[in-house]
Amino acid sequence: MSEVFEGYERQYCELSANLSRKCNSAAILSDQEQKQQKLSEIKTGIDEADVLIRKMDLEARSLQPSVKVVLLAKLREYKSDLNQLKKEFKRVTSPNANQAAREELLEYGNADALSPLLLSTSPRRLLRNLAHNLKKELYLAEGLRVNDTVVNILVVMAMALAKASAGQRERLAMSVERLNESSERITESRRTILETEELGISILQDLHQQRETLLHSHKKLHGVDDAIDKSKKVLTAMSRRMTKHKWIVGSIIGALIVAVILILYFKLFQS
Amino acid sequence: MGDQTARAEEFEKKAEKKLSGWGLFSSKYEDAADLFDKAGNCFKLAKSYVNGGGMDLGSGLLPYGFEVLGDRAGATYIKLANCHLKLESKHEAAQAYVDAAHCYKKTSINEAISCLEKAVHLFCDIGRLNMAARYFKEIAELYESKQNIEKAIEFFEKAADFFQNEEVTTSANQCKQKVAQFAAQLEHYQKAIEIYELIARQSLNNNLLKYGVKGHLLNAGICQLCKGDVVAITNALERYQDLDPTFSGTREYKLLADIAASIDEEDVAKFTDVVKEFDSMTPLDSWKTTLLLRVKEKLKAKELEEDDLT
Repeated sequence: MSEVFEGYERQYCELSANLSRKCNSAAILSDQEQKQQKLSEIKTGIDEADVLIRKMDLEARSLQPSVKVVLLAKLREYKSDLNQLKKEFKRVTSPNANQAAREELLEYGNADALSPLLLSTSPRRLLRNLAHNLKKELYLAEGLRVNDTVVNILVVMAMALAKASAGQRERLAMSVERLNESSERITESRRTILETEELGISILQDLHQQRETLLHSHKKLHGVDDAIDKSKKVLTAMSRRMTKHKWIVGSIIGALIVAVILILYFKLFQS
Repeated sequence: MGDQTARAEEFEKKAEKKLSGWGLFSSKYEDAADLFDKAGNCFKLAKSYVNGGGMDLGSGLLPYGFEVLGDRAGATYIKLANCHLKLESKHEAAQAYVDAAHCYKKTSINEAISCLEKAVHLFCDIGRLNMAARYFKEIAELYESKQNIEKAIEFFEKAADFFQNEEVTTSANQCKQKVAQFAAQLEHYQKAIEIYELIARQSLNNNLLKYGVKGHLLNAGICQLCKGDVVAITNALERYQDLDPTFSGTREYKLLADIAASIDEEDVAKFTDVVKEFDSMTPLDSWKTTLLLRVKEKLKAKELEEDDLT
């Protein structure tokens, strides 16, 4: 008989070592999928360990009292070991559950912000919180057997969740639509900006051309200024020459007239 | 208005009489020129009145009268120019030729071009290269409207040279741009590429023009793509990045890079997608569309070729 017990014992030892290793590795893992996988493995392992311990218990009780005491002591040790493992498992899974719960909570929080009309009734919120808590507890305590009342609560909670999720879906659709609208508007404005940029570029080119024209005419004006100065000099020279000529011609005419008068005078008074 | 035409004809007759007659002082040419000027002016007025106010005339009659008047105005101005030439005032003559050309523009473009050419010769003789360049540009635009692209290129090049000599870089660049555009249409891609790159380099230094650089580089890039040499395209893209460090962030660069990639992969669908995306942001003008279509045809042809071989 004790061989059977020893056989169970050995199995249990292997299993518990395995489980503790898995718990440690699962705690280190950050990838959600792998973690869930590991956790499910650990859960099955823990179930097996439970079954083994119950079998060991039966075996121990069916044996003789002397051996029974020893075996029961061992069994108590193994039970405490299993409890440790279960606590470890809970610790590893509970952050996950917390995260999932926090997400749900935050979602609910967002939903509250978006459409308070749907969720303004506080009994609904209470129900939702209750459902949320129950869900968490159930997930953690999955190893225990569920009874009917819990199932009923579960059903009610599921209905509440379904209603909330329908409202959620509506809100999601609305927000998606709004996002699409705003992205369209953004592309439109981008297009306008690009057009404006092109327009600006052509305006700058025109400005450049006008700048060159202005500089050119500025230079030309300086040239004209110099030319005017020169022409002024030329004109003054011309006018001086003209007056000079006038004087010369005038004096020649005067001299000629004097000569004519002298000749006439001499002619008249000599003859 | 009929009386304008009558006045104009009167002036013309008087001027002819003066010319054929024998003036005492040699002021006959000046008087004749003056009268011709007035006559031409009246013809122009008559023409514009016919244009604006005479719409209730029979439409069959209208164009005929219009053209006849335009021709007469042009002819008058040519006679005016001859007078001025005899008077050795080339500037006035050239101006008269230009006026004649403007009158002929509406009626017979060939005449207009010949008048402008004579005017340009005169301006070159005088040394007013600026005006010569401007009228070269006008001639080139007339050829462009007649779709005579080779002559248009020729004249735009001449105009660009003259503008360059006169240090009027913007007009020179504008003419050169047109040259490059037409060259690309006629498939002289290398020439177009060189011109665009030169313009881009010159524009970089200028604060006002540097925002247009990416447009020029895009045009140069499209010409490179039309040439079809993949290695050259990648080299060119690198060069443009060196020229202008901001170019690589622009949508134009992305377009060029994507098109180059799609040519590498010979994927027509990707090409179409990329072009459509760019077009949705800024609509492509007809020149770019034509060239990109050519690239697409080449790509499709290459694809079909490959299919035939394999």
